[in-house]
Amino acid sequence: MTALSDPVSSRTHPAPRERVAADETVEIAMTVNGTEATVAVPPRAHLADVLREQLGLTGTHLGCEHGVCGMCTIMVDGQAARACLLFAVQCEGADIVTVEGLGTPDDQHPLQRAFSAHHGLQCGFCTPGMLMSSYDLLRSTPDVTAEELPEQMSGVLCRCTGYRGILAAVDDVAQTYPDGVPGPKACGHRTLVGRGSGGGSGAGAPAGEIPAAALPEQVELPSGPPSAVVEVTSTLRSPVDRVWTVLNDFDLLARCLPGARLTEVLDGDRYRGRATVALGPVKLSFDGLAQVVERDPAAHRLRFHAQGADAGGSATRADVVLAAESGPDGGTVLTAHADVHLTGRVAQFGRALAGDVSRRMFEQFAASVDEAAETGSVTAPGRGAQLRLLLGTARDTVGALARRGLGRLRARLRRP
Amino acid sequence: MKAAPFAYVRPATLDDVLAELAGGDGKVLAGGQSLVPVLAMRLGRPGTLVDITAVPALASATVEKDGYRVGAAVRQRAVEHDPAARAVPLIGMAMPFVGHRELRSRGTVCGSLAHADPAAELPAVACCLDARVELAGPAGRRTVPATEFVTGAMSTAAGPEDLVVSVTFPAAAAGEGYGFAEIARRHGDFALAGVVTRVRVGPGGAVTDARLTGFGVSDRPVTRDVTGLFDAGETEHDLRPATAALAEEVVDTGGDTHGSTGYRRRLFGVLAARELSRGLRRARDRRETA
Repeated sequence: MTALSDPVSSRTHPAPRERVAADETVEIAMTVNGTEATVAVPPRAHLADVLREQLGLTGTHLGCEHGVCGMCTIMVDGQAARACLLFAVQCEGADIVTVEGLGTPDDQHPLQRAFSAHHGLQCGFCTPGMLMSSYDLLRSTPDVTAEELPEQMSGVLCRCTGYRGILAAVDDVAQTYPDGVPGPKACGHRTLVGRGSGGGSGAGAPAGEIPAAALPEQVELPSGPPSAVVEVTSTLRSPVDRVWTVLNDFDLLARCLPGARLTEVLDGDRYRGRATVALGPVKLSFDGLAQVVERDPAAHRLRFHAQGADAGGSATRADVVLAAESGPDGGTVLTAHADVHLTGRVAQFGRALAGDVSRRMFEQFAASVDEAAETGSVTAPGRGAQLRLLLGTARDTVGALARRGLGRLRARLRRP
Repeated sequence: MKAAPFAYVRPATLDDVLAELAGGDGKVLAGGQSLVPVLAMRLGRPGTLVDITAVPALASATVEKDGYRVGAAVRQRAVEHDPAARAVPLIGMAMPFVGHRELRSRGTVCGSLAHADPAAELPAVACCLDARVELAGPAGRRTVPATEFVTGAMSTAAGPEDLVVSVTFPAAAAGEGYGFAEIARRHGDFALAGVVTRVRVGPGGAVTDARLTGFGVSDRPVTRDVTGLFDAGETEHDLRPATAALAEEVVDTGGDTHGSTGYRRRLFGVLAARELSRGLRRARDRRETA
């Protein structure tokens, strides 16, 4: 007698589960890219939707949603599977790796580097599925031959004729790693932000404003690499000690930030506030907490951690350092460095756009700091200011949009 | 493409599974690779999905005296990589054509049988080998030959309150050889036409028994005793006229956008001749090495 167990998985059977009614929401715990995650789902929510909408892992793409196209291919308990053909409720205790777990922009998996080198990306829509399918293939069959690849890679459809580059990339990695391709490179601890609603069935919490009480008392920064690093410098007319006066006054400082409003001053140099970011039809309203962790009057340096979440499931955390130095003609050079961690829908905009919006906001912020340093107060940036911000952003991103496919980004922006 | 709402339960024992299926509004969920697309397209709206993967008794594949027995919750990819499955060579020949790797890692062998798609590979293998399907239901347990289990397109002898508990494929005997081939538009898709063959030779190497199952050519796998076809000769060329005539009788599916009836008959005739002669060669090889 030979008893079977999955050779690459420690999980043989899931635990039994009591009946879950059709309109009921149930909490499911699983491991996603090395991080424990608990989601509240109705039985009919499939895993791909849950990964995308509740955990913000939008790298898993959805095409046909009935198992034909392979866009949503991910690893479940060590084997590739279609996330659209799995209900999240089936995945209790499962170990899941998505394309986000494969590698990071700064530390890409060999397959990601090979796809880039062989131009196996083209429009990119199938890329996550192709990466995960080929990862599964090279993990389970490292000795696969180039002749076998077209059949072995047939489980994911490419719509833009990128097959040759894709197959060349997979073959390249297969030959480079004859004993098996390295494991996922980005499965450490990271922040996964849930929305609390299963969506779609009417069950779960209604979409609405996240109450301020839902925010933690302390800002906790994720230990993983940031989604974007923003570093911007601006030259101000005001002298450095006057600029420092503004930086040192958090209330004044907050008023200099476009769209931001301080709502509550807490003890321990902590501040609650609200920030509104608008980009075309995208409007995000973040309820946030900021915590000053370092004030250095001698170096004119202020460091704070900030955390914000919006009702749509987007979240941002940032480690921000503002530093003022004496500049030319008695003015000041103001530098901001921010490590920004984005999750949820806002993360879809990618690093370039996030960085661009941040830079534009900082330019406005620096101008307001300059004004506050001179006059002691800030003219609240009105609709005009915000509009200018948006136009400036739009103009700057036209080049990027053309490169990435304007229609694709438009479609993203239109998504409700 | 979202499934309509359904209740979900994952019982711990076979009795609990049967209790959940009692009433007929439940549907068994094991791998879901055939069921979930049906739900997504809202072609099916069961009240409850009864997930059987937490029942330990259904989760093993074992070699027993009458063959290789696969429990209802055993995944196709586990069988594909199970050394014990080599007792049934046709499983290894057919498995790479069952969907794609990504589907086999979740899909189950018994689930493929229970779904009974006319163009699916595993029901055809089961029919050609005369595998036995074990059912459990309100009236107790019973065993049905695969050829009687599949009663039509996506229809089986299992009632709405029954569970397919296991399928047992007979192990290969000395002097038996096999053939498997299918033509699909893309590797992993359902076959436009497919053929499974089993040829037995006696100690002298003469054909004593030959069996052929066609799939994708009718509303269910079509199984025939084709021993007489070898009267005209043994090579693929010799067999061609007889398999072409067989195709006229066996292929009764209509044409569609992917191929006319005539095209499917041509595919079937060519594949049948090739896989019968191939099965014969392998049977003789096995007889010699046994």
